Amino acid sequence: MTRAAATTAAGRSSLKLRPGKIAVFLILIISALTTLFPLLFLFVNSFKDQGAIVAEPMALPRSWSAAYVSDAMRQIHFGQAVFITAGITVLSVALIVFCASMLSWMLVRNDSPASRIVLLGLTAAMLVPFQSVMYPLIHEFETLGLKNLPGLILMYGGFGLGMSVFLYHGFFRGVPLALEEAALIDGSGILGLFFKVVFPLVKPITVTVIILNSLWIWNDYLLPFLVLGNAEYKTLTLELYYAKMLSGQFSNPWELIFPAVLVSIIPIIVLYLFLQKYFIKGVTEGAVK
Amino acid sequence: MRGYYKKWFWPLALPGLILFAAVVLVPFLIGLLYSFTAWRGTYFVGGSVWTSFVGLDNYARIFQSRQFVHALVYTLQFTAIAVVVVSVAALLLALMLDFAGKRVGAFRTIFFLPNLLGGLALGFVWQFIFQNVFTLLFGENGLNIPFLTNMTQDTTKNLFALVIMVTWQMAGYMMIIFVAGLNNIPRDLYEAGALDGAGGWKRFRYITLPMLMPSVTIVLFLTLAGCLKLLDQNVALTNGSFNTSMLSLQILRTVRYTQPPDYGQAQAQAVVFFVLVAIIGLAQVYITKKKEVDA
Repeated sequence: MTRAAATTAAGRSSLKLRPGKIAVFLILIISALTTLFPLLFLFVNSFKDQGAIVAEPMALPRSWSAAYVSDAMRQIHFGQAVFITAGITVLSVALIVFCASMLSWMLVRNDSPASRIVLLGLTAAMLVPFQSVMYPLIHEFETLGLKNLPGLILMYGGFGLGMSVFLYHGFFRGVPLALEEAALIDGSGILGLFFKVVFPLVKPITVTVIILNSLWIWNDYLLPFLVLGNAEYKTLTLELYYAKMLSGQFSNPWELIFPAVLVSIIPIIVLYLFLQKYFIKGVTEGAVK
Repeated sequence: MRGYYKKWFWPLALPGLILFAAVVLVPFLIGLLYSFTAWRGTYFVGGSVWTSFVGLDNYARIFQSRQFVHALVYTLQFTAIAVVVVSVAALLLALMLDFAGKRVGAFRTIFFLPNLLGGLALGFVWQFIFQNVFTLLFGENGLNIPFLTNMTQDTTKNLFALVIMVTWQMAGYMMIIFVAGLNNIPRDLYEAGALDGAGGWKRFRYITLPMLMPSVTIVLFLTLAGCLKLLDQNVALTNGSFNTSMLSLQILRTVRYTQPPDYGQAQAQAVVFFVLVAIIGLAQVYITKKKEVDA
Protein backbone atom coordinates (compact mmCIF):
# COMPACT_ATOMS: atom_id res chain seq x y z
CA MET A 1 0.00 0.00 0.00
CA THR A 2 1.34 3.41 -0.92
CA ARG A 3 1.55 6.25 1.49
CA ALA A 4 -1.06 8.21 -0.48
CA ALA A 5 -3.60 5.42 -0.14
CA ALA A 6 -2.95 5.19 3.59
CA THR A 7 -3.51 8.91 4.10
CA THR A 8 -6.77 8.85 2.17
CA ALA A 9 -8.01 5.95 4.25
CA ALA A 10 -7.11 7.74 7.44
CA GLY A 11 -8.65 10.95 6.17
CA ARG A 12 -11.87 9.19 5.25
CA SER A 13 -12.26 7.54 8.65
CA SER A 14 -11.74 10.82 10.51
CA LEU A 15 -14.20 12.47 8.11
CA LYS A 16 -16.74 9.81 8.89
CA LEU A 17 -16.38 10.52 12.60
CA ARG A 18 -16.55 14.24 12.30
CA PRO A 19 -20.24 15.20 12.30
CA GLY A 20 -20.96 13.12 15.40
CA LYS A 21 -17.90 14.36 17.23
CA ILE A 22 -18.57 17.96 16.37
CA ALA A 23 -22.15 17.68 17.62
CA VAL A 24 -21.00 16.12 20.88
CA PHE A 25 -18.33 18.76 21.38
CA LEU A 26 -20.90 21.48 20.72
CA ILE A 27 -23.27 20.03 23.33
CA LEU A 28 -20.38 19.70 25.77
CA ILE A 29 -19.36 23.32 25.23
CA ILE A 30 -22.93 24.53 25.72
CA SER A 31 -23.25 22.43 28.90
CA ALA A 32 -19.95 23.77 30.20
CA LEU A 33 -21.02 27.35 29.57
CA THR A 34 -24.35 26.70 31.31
CA THR A 35 -22.45 25.22 34.24
CA LEU A 36 -20.18 28.25 34.42
CA PHE A 37 -22.98 30.77 33.93
CA PRO A 38 -23.92 31.27 37.62
CA LEU A 39 -20.25 31.76 38.48
CA LEU A 40 -19.61 34.23 35.64
CA PHE A 41 -22.83 35.98 36.60
CA LEU A 42 -21.64 36.17 40.20
CA PHE A 43 -18.28 37.54 39.12
CA VAL A 44 -19.70 40.25 36.86
CA ASN A 45 -22.22 41.41 39.44
CA SER A 46 -19.65 41.64 42.23
CA PHE A 47 -18.47 44.92 40.71
CA LYS A 48 -21.81 46.72 40.45
CA ASP A 49 -24.01 48.73 42.78
CA GLN A 50 -27.44 47.55 43.84
CA GLY A 51 -29.24 49.60 41.20
CA ALA A 52 -27.13 48.28 38.31
CA ILE A 53 -27.44 44.68 39.53
CA VAL A 54 -31.22 44.80 39.58
CA ALA A 55 -31.69 46.90 36.45
CA GLU A 56 -29.24 45.13 34.14
CA PRO A 57 -28.16 41.87 35.75
CA MET A 58 -26.58 40.58 32.54
CA ALA A 59 -24.57 43.68 31.66
CA LEU A 60 -20.87 44.10 32.32
CA PRO A 61 -20.00 46.55 35.10
CA ARG A 62 -19.25 50.14 34.13
CA SER A 63 -15.98 50.00 36.01
CA TRP A 64 -14.06 47.16 37.61
CA SER A 65 -13.63 48.92 40.92
CA ALA A 66 -12.94 46.61 43.84
CA ALA A 67 -14.88 48.83 46.23
CA TYR A 68 -17.78 46.39 46.69
CA VAL A 69 -15.44 43.45 47.10
CA SER A 70 -13.36 45.13 49.77
CA ASP A 71 -16.51 46.41 51.47
CA ALA A 72 -17.98 42.92 51.55
CA MET A 73 -14.72 41.47 52.87
CA ARG A 74 -14.86 43.91 55.75
CA GLN A 75 -18.52 43.23 56.51
CA ILE A 76 -18.17 39.45 56.65
CA HIS A 77 -14.84 39.71 58.54
CA PHE A 78 -13.26 37.79 55.70
CA GLY A 79 -9.77 37.26 57.15
CA GLN A 80 -11.07 36.13 60.51
CA ALA A 81 -13.78 33.93 59.00
CA VAL A 82 -11.33 32.19 56.66
CA PHE A 83 -8.96 31.61 59.57
CA ILE A 84 -11.72 30.15 61.75
CA THR A 85 -13.19 28.00 58.97
CA ALA A 86 -9.77 26.70 57.95
CA GLY A 87 -8.87 26.05 61.60
CA ILE A 88 -12.07 24.11 62.24
CA THR A 89 -11.66 22.13 59.02
CA VAL A 90 -8.00 21.23 59.59
CA LEU A 91 -8.43 20.25 63.24
CA SER A 92 -11.62 18.27 62.62
CA VAL A 93 -10.12 16.40 59.69
CA ALA A 94 -6.95 15.67 61.68
CA LEU A 95 -9.11 14.29 64.49
CA ILE A 96 -11.07 12.15 62.04
CA VAL A 97 -7.96 10.77 60.33
CA PHE A 98 -6.28 10.02 63.65
CA CYS A 99 -9.23 8.28 65.31
CA ALA A 100 -10.62 6.54 62.23
CA SER A 101 -7.32 5.08 61.03
CA MET A 102 -6.33 3.62 64.40
CA LEU A 103 -9.83 2.36 65.12
CA SER A 104 -10.12 0.65 61.73
CA TRP A 105 -6.67 -0.88 62.02
CA MET A 106 -7.55 -2.39 65.38
CA LEU A 107 -10.91 -3.62 64.05
CA VAL A 108 -9.18 -5.39 61.15
CA ARG A 109 -6.42 -6.90 63.28
CA ASN A 110 -8.82 -8.06 66.00
CA ASP A 111 -11.45 -9.61 63.78
CA SER A 112 -14.23 -11.02 65.95
CA PRO A 113 -18.06 -10.93 66.10
CA ALA A 114 -17.78 -7.95 68.47
CA SER A 115 -15.57 -5.93 66.15
CA ARG A 116 -17.86 -6.74 63.24
CA ILE A 117 -20.80 -5.34 65.20
CA VAL A 118 -18.82 -2.15 65.90
CA LEU A 119 -18.07 -1.81 62.19
CA LEU A 120 -21.73 -2.39 61.31
CA GLY A 121 -22.80 0.28 63.80
CA LEU A 122 -20.34 2.81 62.39
CA THR A 123 -21.40 2.03 58.81
CA ALA A 124 -25.10 2.22 59.66
CA ALA A 125 -24.48 5.68 61.14
CA MET A 126 -23.95 6.94 57.58
CA LEU A 127 -27.70 6.56 57.12
CA VAL A 128 -28.57 8.67 60.18
CA PRO A 129 -29.59 12.16 59.07
CA PHE A 130 -28.03 14.91 61.13
CA GLN A 131 -31.52 16.12 62.12
CA SER A 132 -32.15 12.89 64.02
CA VAL A 133 -29.42 13.59 66.53
CA MET A 134 -28.97 17.36 66.50
CA TYR A 135 -31.25 18.49 69.34
CA PRO A 136 -30.08 15.92 71.91
CA LEU A 137 -26.49 16.45 70.73
CA ILE A 138 -26.55 20.21 71.22
CA HIS A 139 -28.26 19.68 74.58
CA GLU A 140 -25.60 17.17 75.65
CA PHE A 141 -22.69 19.34 74.57
CA GLU A 142 -24.21 22.39 76.24
CA THR A 143 -24.39 20.46 79.51
CA LEU A 144 -20.73 19.52 79.08
CA GLY A 145 -19.80 23.17 78.48
CA LEU A 146 -18.87 22.39 74.88
CA LYS A 147 -21.30 24.54 72.89
CA ASN A 148 -18.34 26.39 71.40
CA LEU A 149 -15.52 26.06 68.84
CA PRO A 150 -13.75 23.08 70.50
CA GLY A 151 -17.12 21.34 70.82
CA LEU A 152 -17.83 21.98 67.15
CA ILE A 153 -14.55 20.27 66.21
CA LEU A 154 -15.41 17.25 68.36
CA MET A 155 -18.83 17.01 66.72
CA TYR A 156 -17.33 17.03 63.25
CA GLY A 157 -14.89 14.39 64.46
CA GLY A 158 -17.76 12.15 65.52
CA PHE A 159 -19.83 12.68 62.40
CA GLY A 160 -16.93 12.06 60.04
CA LEU A 161 -16.04 8.74 61.66
CA GLY A 162 -18.67 6.49 60.07
CA MET A 163 -17.70 6.99 56.46
CA SER A 164 -13.97 7.26 57.23
CA VAL A 165 -13.80 4.02 59.23
CA PHE A 166 -15.71 2.33 56.42
CA LEU A 167 -13.11 3.51 53.88
CA TYR A 168 -10.08 2.71 56.04
CA HIS A 169 -11.41 -0.69 57.03
CA GLY A 170 -11.68 -1.77 53.41
CA PHE A 171 -8.12 -0.64 52.79
CA PHE A 172 -6.47 -2.12 55.90
CA ARG A 173 -7.74 -5.55 54.99
CA GLY A 174 -5.37 -5.46 52.04
CA VAL A 175 -2.28 -4.66 54.17
CA PRO A 176 -0.25 -7.87 54.60
CA LEU A 177 0.33 -8.94 58.18
CA ALA A 178 3.87 -10.15 57.36
CA LEU A 179 5.02 -6.55 56.90
CA GLU A 180 3.90 -5.64 60.40
CA GLU A 181 5.46 -8.78 61.89
CA ALA A 182 8.79 -7.89 60.31
CA ALA A 183 8.67 -4.41 61.85
CA LEU A 184 7.82 -5.87 65.25
CA ILE A 185 10.75 -8.28 65.07
CA ASP A 186 12.96 -5.28 64.29
CA GLY A 187 11.89 -3.99 67.69
CA SER A 188 9.36 -1.31 66.85
CA GLY A 189 6.72 -0.32 69.40
CA ILE A 190 3.04 -0.13 68.62
CA LEU A 191 3.08 3.58 67.82
CA GLY A 192 6.23 3.27 65.74
CA LEU A 193 4.65 0.37 63.92
CA PHE A 194 1.52 2.33 63.22
CA PHE A 195 3.00 5.68 62.20
CA LYS A 196 6.15 4.45 60.44
CA VAL A 197 4.87 1.30 58.73
CA VAL A 198 1.09 1.04 58.56
CA PHE A 199 -0.04 4.64 58.14
CA PRO A 200 2.23 5.41 55.14
CA LEU A 201 0.87 2.31 53.40
CA VAL A 202 -2.70 3.61 53.46
CA LYS A 203 -1.85 7.09 52.20
CA PRO A 204 -4.17 6.91 49.14
CA ILE A 205 -7.23 6.34 51.29
CA THR A 206 -6.08 9.03 53.73
CA VAL A 207 -6.14 11.52 50.85
CA THR A 208 -9.72 10.44 50.07
CA VAL A 209 -10.77 10.77 53.70
CA ILE A 210 -9.20 14.23 53.94
CA ILE A 211 -10.86 15.52 50.77
CA LEU A 212 -14.33 14.13 51.41
CA ASN A 213 -14.45 15.41 54.98
CA SER A 214 -12.88 18.80 54.24
CA LEU A 215 -15.46 19.54 51.57
CA TRP A 216 -18.53 19.15 53.74
CA ILE A 217 -17.00 20.67 56.85
CA TRP A 218 -15.79 23.77 54.99
CA ASN A 219 -19.20 24.40 53.44
CA ASP A 220 -21.39 23.22 56.31
CA TYR A 221 -24.06 25.62 57.45
CA LEU A 222 -26.31 23.89 59.99
CA LEU A 223 -23.88 22.69 62.64
CA PRO A 224 -22.06 26.04 63.06
CA PHE A 225 -25.48 27.73 63.01
CA LEU A 226 -26.71 25.57 65.89
CA VAL A 227 -23.49 25.62 67.91
CA LEU A 228 -22.11 29.12 67.32
CA GLY A 229 -25.17 31.04 66.12
CA ASN A 230 -24.67 34.77 65.90
CA ALA A 231 -21.57 34.69 68.08
CA GLU A 232 -18.51 36.86 67.55
CA TYR A 233 -16.51 34.13 65.86
CA LYS A 234 -18.30 32.74 62.83
CA THR A 235 -17.42 30.45 59.95
CA LEU A 236 -17.47 31.76 56.41
CA THR A 237 -20.81 30.16 55.57
CA LEU A 238 -22.32 31.49 58.78
CA GLU A 239 -21.10 35.03 58.03
CA LEU A 240 -22.78 34.81 54.63
CA TYR A 241 -25.98 33.53 56.18
CA TYR A 242 -26.20 36.40 58.65
CA ALA A 243 -25.16 38.97 56.06
CA LYS A 244 -28.08 37.83 53.90
CA MET A 245 -30.68 37.27 56.62
CA LEU A 246 -30.04 40.43 58.59
CA SER A 247 -29.91 42.65 55.53
CA GLY A 248 -33.04 41.06 54.12
CA GLN A 249 -35.07 42.99 56.67
CA PHE A 250 -34.84 46.34 54.91
CA SER A 251 -33.64 45.48 51.42
CA ASN A 252 -31.66 42.96 49.44
CA PRO A 253 -28.22 44.46 49.27
CA TRP A 254 -26.94 42.28 46.48
CA GLU A 255 -24.00 44.62 46.24
CA LEU A 256 -22.91 43.07 49.53
CA ILE A 257 -24.05 39.45 48.99
CA PHE A 258 -22.51 38.88 45.55
CA PRO A 259 -18.96 40.01 46.33
CA ALA A 260 -19.21 38.23 49.71
CA VAL A 261 -20.13 34.93 48.03
CA LEU A 262 -17.42 35.51 45.43
CA VAL A 263 -14.59 35.95 47.93
CA SER A 264 -15.88 33.04 50.00
CA ILE A 265 -15.65 30.56 47.11
CA ILE A 266 -12.30 31.74 45.76
CA PRO A 267 -10.16 29.80 48.28
CA ILE A 268 -11.88 26.52 47.32
CA ILE A 269 -11.62 27.20 43.59
CA VAL A 270 -7.90 28.02 43.83
CA LEU A 271 -7.26 24.90 45.89
CA TYR A 272 -9.25 22.82 43.40
CA LEU A 273 -7.33 24.10 40.40
CA PHE A 274 -4.03 23.18 42.05
CA LEU A 275 -5.04 19.85 43.58
CA GLN A 276 -7.59 18.79 40.97
CA LYS A 277 -6.06 15.36 40.48
CA TYR A 278 -6.47 14.54 44.17
CA PHE A 279 -9.99 15.96 44.38
CA ILE A 280 -11.28 13.85 41.53
CA LYS A 281 -9.39 10.73 42.57
CA GLY A 282 -10.53 11.27 46.14
CA VAL A 283 -14.24 11.45 45.41
CA THR A 284 -14.11 8.62 42.88
CA GLU A 285 -12.35 6.25 45.26
CA GLY A 286 -14.62 7.27 48.10
CA ALA A 287 -17.63 6.39 46.00
CA VAL A 288 -16.37 3.19 44.42
CA LYS A 289 -15.31 1.57 47.70
CA MET B 1 0.58 -11.89 67.00
CA ARG B 2 -3.13 -11.92 67.76
CA GLY B 3 -2.39 -11.52 71.43
CA TYR B 4 -0.20 -8.54 70.69
CA TYR B 5 -2.97 -6.71 68.78
CA LYS B 6 -5.51 -7.70 71.41
CA LYS B 7 -3.44 -6.07 74.11
CA TRP B 8 -3.44 -2.79 72.19
CA PHE B 9 -7.07 -2.85 71.07
CA TRP B 10 -8.54 -0.62 73.77
CA PRO B 11 -5.83 2.06 73.90
CA LEU B 12 -5.94 2.60 70.13
CA ALA B 13 -9.63 2.06 69.47
CA LEU B 14 -10.95 4.01 72.42
CA PRO B 15 -10.56 7.61 71.12
CA GLY B 16 -12.67 6.79 68.08
CA LEU B 17 -15.21 4.78 70.02
CA ILE B 18 -15.70 7.50 72.64
CA LEU B 19 -16.06 10.18 69.99
CA PHE B 20 -18.60 8.13 68.08
CA ALA B 21 -20.59 7.30 71.20
CA ALA B 22 -20.65 10.90 72.41
CA VAL B 23 -21.57 12.50 69.09
CA VAL B 24 -23.75 9.94 67.32
CA LEU B 25 -24.78 6.92 69.35
CA VAL B 26 -25.82 8.51 72.67
CA PRO B 27 -27.66 11.49 71.12
CA PHE B 28 -29.43 9.10 68.76
CA LEU B 29 -30.68 6.90 71.60
CA ILE B 30 -31.57 9.89 73.77
CA GLY B 31 -33.43 11.37 70.82
CA LEU B 32 -35.41 8.18 70.43
CA LEU B 33 -36.36 8.34 74.12
CA TYR B 34 -37.22 12.06 74.05
CA SER B 35 -39.48 11.62 71.05
CA PHE B 36 -41.95 9.97 73.44
CA THR B 37 -41.87 12.83 75.96
CA ALA B 38 -43.14 16.39 76.28
CA TRP B 39 -39.64 17.82 75.88
CA ARG B 40 -39.46 21.60 75.61
CA GLY B 41 -35.71 21.97 75.08
CA THR B 42 -34.76 23.42 78.45
CA TYR B 43 -37.22 21.45 80.58
CA PHE B 44 -39.69 18.57 80.55
CA VAL B 45 -43.39 19.14 81.12
CA GLY B 46 -44.08 17.36 84.40
CA GLY B 47 -40.58 17.79 85.84
CA SER B 48 -38.31 15.04 84.54
CA VAL B 49 -37.94 12.76 81.53
CA TRP B 50 -39.64 9.91 83.33
CA THR B 51 -42.72 11.86 84.38
CA SER B 52 -43.26 13.56 81.00
CA PHE B 53 -43.92 10.46 78.91
CA VAL B 54 -46.72 11.03 76.44
CA GLY B 55 -46.60 7.68 74.65
CA LEU B 56 -47.19 8.00 70.94
CA ASP B 57 -48.75 11.45 71.26
CA ASN B 58 -45.96 13.29 69.43
CA TYR B 59 -46.13 10.82 66.56
CA ALA B 60 -49.91 11.10 66.35
CA ARG B 61 -49.65 14.88 66.27
CA ILE B 62 -47.02 15.11 63.55
CA PHE B 63 -49.14 13.10 61.16
CA GLN B 64 -52.05 15.44 61.88
CA SER B 65 -49.80 18.43 61.27
CA ARG B 66 -50.45 19.72 57.78
CA GLN B 67 -47.04 21.35 57.55
CA PHE B 68 -45.22 18.12 58.38
CA VAL B 69 -47.21 15.97 56.00
CA HIS B 70 -46.75 18.59 53.29
CA ALA B 71 -42.99 18.69 53.92
CA LEU B 72 -42.88 14.89 53.76
CA VAL B 73 -44.73 14.73 50.45
CA TYR B 74 -42.77 17.68 49.06
CA THR B 75 -39.47 15.98 49.96
CA LEU B 76 -40.52 12.73 48.30
CA GLN B 77 -41.72 14.50 45.15
CA PHE B 78 -38.55 16.53 44.93
CA THR B 79 -36.38 13.46 45.52
CA ALA B 80 -38.17 11.37 42.89
CA ILE B 81 -37.74 14.04 40.21
CA ALA B 82 -34.25 15.18 41.20
CA VAL B 83 -32.78 11.66 41.37
CA VAL B 84 -33.94 10.90 37.83
CA VAL B 85 -32.85 14.26 36.40
CA VAL B 86 -29.43 14.22 38.10
CA SER B 87 -28.66 10.61 37.15
CA VAL B 88 -29.75 10.99 33.54
CA ALA B 89 -27.87 14.28 33.13
CA ALA B 90 -24.77 12.74 34.70
CA LEU B 91 -24.97 9.65 32.50
CA LEU B 92 -25.37 11.73 29.32
CA LEU B 93 -22.40 13.89 30.26
CA ALA B 94 -20.31 10.80 31.02
CA LEU B 95 -21.25 9.12 27.71
CA MET B 96 -20.43 12.30 25.80
CA LEU B 97 -17.04 12.62 27.50
CA ASP B 98 -16.37 8.96 26.80
CA PHE B 99 -17.32 9.43 23.15
CA ALA B 100 -15.35 12.65 22.74
CA GLY B 101 -12.11 10.85 23.52
CA LYS B 102 -9.02 11.91 25.38
CA ARG B 103 -8.79 15.69 25.51
CA VAL B 104 -11.75 16.35 27.76
CA GLY B 105 -9.98 17.21 31.02
CA ALA B 106 -11.19 20.81 30.95
CA PHE B 107 -14.83 19.71 30.65
CA ARG B 108 -14.46 17.34 33.56
CA THR B 109 -12.93 20.11 35.65
CA ILE B 110 -15.77 22.51 34.86
CA PHE B 111 -18.64 20.06 35.38
CA PHE B 112 -17.30 18.96 38.74
CA LEU B 113 -16.64 22.48 40.04
CA PRO B 114 -20.15 23.38 41.37
CA ASN B 115 -20.03 20.35 43.65
CA LEU B 116 -17.25 21.95 45.67
CA LEU B 117 -19.13 25.13 46.40
CA GLY B 118 -21.46 25.60 49.33
CA GLY B 119 -25.18 25.07 48.77
CA LEU B 120 -26.02 28.08 50.90
CA ALA B 121 -23.61 30.54 49.25
CA LEU B 122 -24.49 29.53 45.70
CA GLY B 123 -28.14 29.25 46.69
CA PHE B 124 -28.19 32.99 47.24
CA VAL B 125 -26.83 33.53 43.74
CA TRP B 126 -29.39 31.12 42.26
CA GLN B 127 -32.18 32.84 44.16
CA PHE B 128 -31.32 36.06 42.35
CA ILE B 129 -31.03 34.23 39.02
CA PHE B 130 -34.46 32.62 39.41
CA GLN B 131 -36.00 35.80 40.71
CA ASN B 132 -34.52 38.38 38.35
CA VAL B 133 -32.68 36.81 35.42
CA PHE B 134 -35.22 34.05 34.69
CA THR B 135 -38.09 36.46 35.13
CA LEU B 136 -36.41 38.84 32.70
CA LEU B 137 -35.61 36.13 30.15
CA PHE B 138 -38.87 34.19 30.34
CA GLY B 139 -41.24 37.05 31.24
CA GLU B 140 -43.81 38.70 29.02
CA ASN B 141 -41.17 40.77 27.25
CA GLY B 142 -38.95 37.75 26.74
CA LEU B 143 -39.74 34.18 25.75
CA ASN B 144 -43.02 34.30 27.66
CA ILE B 145 -42.80 31.03 29.60
CA PRO B 146 -44.69 31.91 32.82
CA PHE B 147 -43.61 28.66 34.51
CA LEU B 148 -39.99 29.84 34.57
CA THR B 149 -40.73 33.24 36.09
CA ASN B 150 -40.71 34.00 39.83
CA MET B 151 -39.85 30.37 40.50
CA THR B 152 -39.02 30.91 44.14
CA GLN B 153 -42.46 32.32 44.96
CA ASP B 154 -44.59 29.28 44.32
CA THR B 155 -44.69 25.82 45.86
CA THR B 156 -44.60 23.82 42.63
CA LYS B 157 -42.31 26.11 40.66
CA ASN B 158 -39.84 26.17 43.54
CA LEU B 159 -39.68 22.37 43.46
CA PHE B 160 -38.30 22.63 39.94
CA ALA B 161 -36.04 25.53 40.86
CA LEU B 162 -34.53 23.21 43.48
CA VAL B 163 -34.21 20.44 40.89
CA ILE B 164 -32.36 22.80 38.52
CA MET B 165 -29.97 23.96 41.21
CA VAL B 166 -29.30 20.48 42.60
CA THR B 167 -28.68 19.11 39.11
CA TRP B 168 -26.21 21.91 38.53
CA GLN B 169 -24.40 20.98 41.75
CA MET B 170 -24.53 17.17 41.71
CA ALA B 171 -24.49 16.10 38.06
CA GLY B 172 -20.73 16.68 37.67
CA TYR B 173 -19.94 14.56 40.71
CA MET B 174 -22.12 11.69 39.52
CA MET B 175 -20.66 12.07 36.03
CA ILE B 176 -17.20 11.34 37.45
CA ILE B 177 -18.47 8.12 39.01
CA PHE B 178 -20.05 7.07 35.70
CA VAL B 179 -16.85 7.93 33.80
CA ALA B 180 -14.88 5.67 36.18
CA GLY B 181 -17.45 2.93 35.54
CA LEU B 182 -17.27 3.35 31.77
CA ASN B 183 -13.48 3.09 31.87
CA ASN B 184 -13.82 -0.30 33.54
CA ILE B 185 -15.79 -1.81 30.67
CA PRO B 186 -13.44 -3.91 28.52
CA ARG B 187 -13.29 -2.56 24.96
CA ASP B 188 -13.39 -6.00 23.35
CA LEU B 189 -16.97 -6.41 24.56
CA TYR B 190 -17.94 -3.60 22.18
CA GLU B 191 -15.91 -5.13 19.37
CA ALA B 192 -17.67 -8.45 19.91
CA GLY B 193 -21.00 -6.63 19.95
CA ALA B 194 -20.16 -4.79 16.73
CA LEU B 195 -19.19 -8.09 15.06
CA ASP B 196 -22.55 -9.55 16.08
CA GLY B 197 -24.15 -6.60 14.34
CA ALA B 198 -25.37 -4.73 17.44
CA GLY B 199 -26.03 -1.06 16.68
CA GLY B 200 -25.35 1.91 18.95
CA TRP B 201 -28.52 1.62 21.00
CA LYS B 202 -28.29 -2.15 21.35
CA ARG B 203 -24.65 -1.89 22.45
CA PHE B 204 -25.69 0.67 25.06
CA ARG B 205 -28.67 -1.37 26.26
CA TYR B 206 -26.99 -4.79 26.38
CA ILE B 207 -23.35 -3.97 27.09
CA THR B 208 -22.88 -0.51 28.62
CA LEU B 209 -25.89 -0.42 30.93
CA PRO B 210 -25.47 -3.89 32.53
CA MET B 211 -21.73 -3.33 32.98
CA LEU B 212 -22.43 0.06 34.51
CA MET B 213 -24.80 -1.24 37.22
CA PRO B 214 -22.25 -0.96 40.08
CA SER B 215 -21.88 2.75 39.26
CA VAL B 216 -25.65 3.12 39.07
CA THR B 217 -25.96 1.71 42.60
CA ILE B 218 -23.52 4.27 43.95
CA VAL B 219 -24.99 7.19 42.02
CA LEU B 220 -28.53 6.37 43.12
CA PHE B 221 -27.44 5.96 46.73
CA LEU B 222 -25.58 9.28 46.82
CA THR B 223 -28.29 11.27 45.02
CA LEU B 224 -31.10 9.73 47.07
CA ALA B 225 -29.36 10.49 50.36
CA GLY B 226 -28.35 13.98 49.21
CA CYS B 227 -31.85 14.87 48.01
CA LEU B 228 -33.76 13.46 50.98
CA LYS B 229 -31.54 15.38 53.40
CA LEU B 230 -31.32 18.58 51.34
CA LEU B 231 -31.25 21.69 53.52
CA ASP B 232 -28.87 24.48 52.48
CA GLN B 233 -30.40 25.05 49.05
CA ASN B 234 -33.88 25.02 50.57
CA VAL B 235 -32.84 27.66 53.12
CA ALA B 236 -31.15 29.82 50.51
CA LEU B 237 -33.91 29.81 47.89
CA THR B 238 -37.03 30.32 50.01
CA ASN B 239 -36.24 29.51 53.65
CA GLY B 240 -39.56 27.67 53.65
CA SER B 241 -41.83 30.52 52.51
CA PHE B 242 -44.68 29.70 50.11
CA ASN B 243 -45.03 26.24 51.65
CA THR B 244 -41.68 25.01 50.37
CA SER B 245 -40.09 23.43 53.47
CA MET B 246 -38.53 20.07 52.94
CA LEU B 247 -38.19 17.71 55.91
CA SER B 248 -34.78 18.93 57.13
CA LEU B 249 -35.99 22.51 57.25
CA GLN B 250 -39.39 21.56 58.69
CA ILE B 251 -37.71 19.95 61.71
CA LEU B 252 -35.86 23.21 62.36
CA ARG B 253 -38.97 25.30 61.86
CA THR B 254 -41.13 23.20 64.20
CA VAL B 255 -39.05 24.41 67.11
CA ARG B 256 -39.04 28.00 65.93
CA TYR B 257 -42.78 28.24 65.36
CA THR B 258 -44.12 26.58 68.51
CA GLN B 259 -44.41 28.31 71.88
CA PRO B 260 -42.89 27.01 74.10
CA PRO B 261 -40.63 25.27 71.55
CA ASP B 262 -41.97 21.76 71.09
CA TYR B 263 -38.74 19.78 70.96
CA GLY B 264 -40.60 16.53 71.67
CA GLN B 265 -42.58 16.87 68.48
CA ALA B 266 -39.54 17.97 66.45
CA GLN B 267 -37.68 14.93 67.74
CA ALA B 268 -40.52 12.63 66.69
CA GLN B 269 -40.32 14.19 63.22
CA ALA B 270 -36.59 13.55 63.24
CA VAL B 271 -37.12 9.88 64.10
CA VAL B 272 -39.65 9.48 61.29
CA PHE B 273 -37.15 11.19 58.99
CA PHE B 274 -34.45 8.71 59.99
CA VAL B 275 -36.72 5.73 59.39
CA LEU B 276 -37.66 7.09 55.97
CA VAL B 277 -34.04 7.68 54.91
CA ALA B 278 -32.93 4.29 56.24
CA ILE B 279 -35.73 2.35 54.54
CA ILE B 280 -35.34 4.09 51.17
CA GLY B 281 -31.53 3.85 51.31
CA LEU B 282 -31.46 0.15 52.22
CA ALA B 283 -34.21 -0.78 49.76
CA GLN B 284 -32.39 0.97 46.92
CA VAL B 285 -29.06 -0.72 47.67
CA TYR B 286 -30.81 -4.10 47.96
CA ILE B 287 -32.68 -3.72 44.66
CA THR B 288 -29.78 -2.41 42.57
CA LYS B 289 -27.34 -4.95 44.07
CA LYS B 290 -29.70 -7.67 42.95
CA LYS B 291 -29.75 -6.16 39.45
CA GLU B 292 -25.93 -6.18 39.44
CA VAL B 293 -25.88 -9.91 40.11
CA ASP B 294 -28.52 -10.63 37.48
CA ALA B 295 -26.77 -8.58 34.85
